[in-house]
Amino acid sequence: MDELDPVIHASARLRITASLATLPAGDRLAFPRLQQLLEMTPGNLSTHLRKLEDAGYVEVTKAHQGRSPVTYLNLTTRGRGAFEEYTTALKKLLGGTA
Amino acid sequence: MTHDDRSAAKPADTELDRELHSALELDEEDDSALTPEQMLKLVDDQQSDVVRKQLAPIPWMLGVWGVAWLVGFLLLWSAAPQSNSLVTVSGPVAGIGFGVLIGAAIAASTVLGIRIGRGVQGNSSFAGAVYGISWALCGTAFGMVGVALRNNGMSYELATLYFPSAFALMAGTLYLAGAALWHQKSQLVLGIILLVTGSVSPFFGAPTNNLVMALLGGGTMLFMAVLAAVRLRRTV
Repeated sequence: MDELDPVIHASARLRITASLATLPAGDRLAFPRLQQLLEMTPGNLSTHLRKLEDAGYVEVTKAHQGRSPVTYLNLTTRGRGAFEEYTTALKKLLGGTA
Repeated sequence: MTHDDRSAAKPADTELDRELHSALELDEEDDSALTPEQMLKLVDDQQSDVVRKQLAPIPWMLGVWGVAWLVGFLLLWSAAPQSNSLVTVSGPVAGIGFGVLIGAAIAASTVLGIRIGRGVQGNSSFAGAVYGISWALCGTAFGMVGVALRNNGMSYELATLYFPSAFALMAGTLYLAGAALWHQKSQLVLGIILLVTGSVSPFFGAPTNNLVMALLGGGTMLFMAVLAAVRLRRTV
């Protein structure tokens, strides 16, 4: 298990990363929608997002919709790469050809 | 500012956040017990769940349009004296019924269309907005041609062939565009069938063209709605 990325190798952060990885590059997801999709509390989600942001895996963008600010999230190129490496490592551990 | 956004922006300095931190540490300890199989399954399940939730309105959109086409064009067909429909509907009732059904489908699909992939901003949202507006623009353009043809002497009989066909050709073309945008083969199939419906139905003459529109066009949409619903359920 040593080779598995500790930032992603936690079920909550893995679910966040996997969800954001479904978006095509160039797209961002609003915080409230991500929270709905993951069924996580806002506090729990933001704590994990901060760890992902600190690792440079997630980019946080503050935007405005009318008067209300909305936080958008997307995987960085590094984050997307880390997610792909992580799933590849898991498949290798399982004896797959990936 | 929503509560969610405030939470996202605030540093973890509250007692609640400290509690969450300790809860998370426990969570991560538990994760070490998860096998690679379980982690990989977690990835697959999560991604399927996101796709299913983001695309959930699609079967409803197809279903709403399928019902509007099936019932609406059956009404128009039934209203024609030449049809051998078991139920005869008066012309005004059929016309109003058709208008109400199509209007309701436009309203419902606008609401549902906005819900598809909601919360997403960026390249896809531009494509989605252009695609959504295309329906209104193309509908107006095809309608204008029909009105112009009427103004230039096209008979009522010919108009009853033109308008349904133009509608089907417009929808077929836009479904082909949708298939290209989102790489969906089901939209490609639907687009082709609607192009066939639009181009073949006038050969049957009025009012049978409306029966073809109802059964082939509406029927295919309803079939695709059921197919989309089954596929989305299977991705869980």
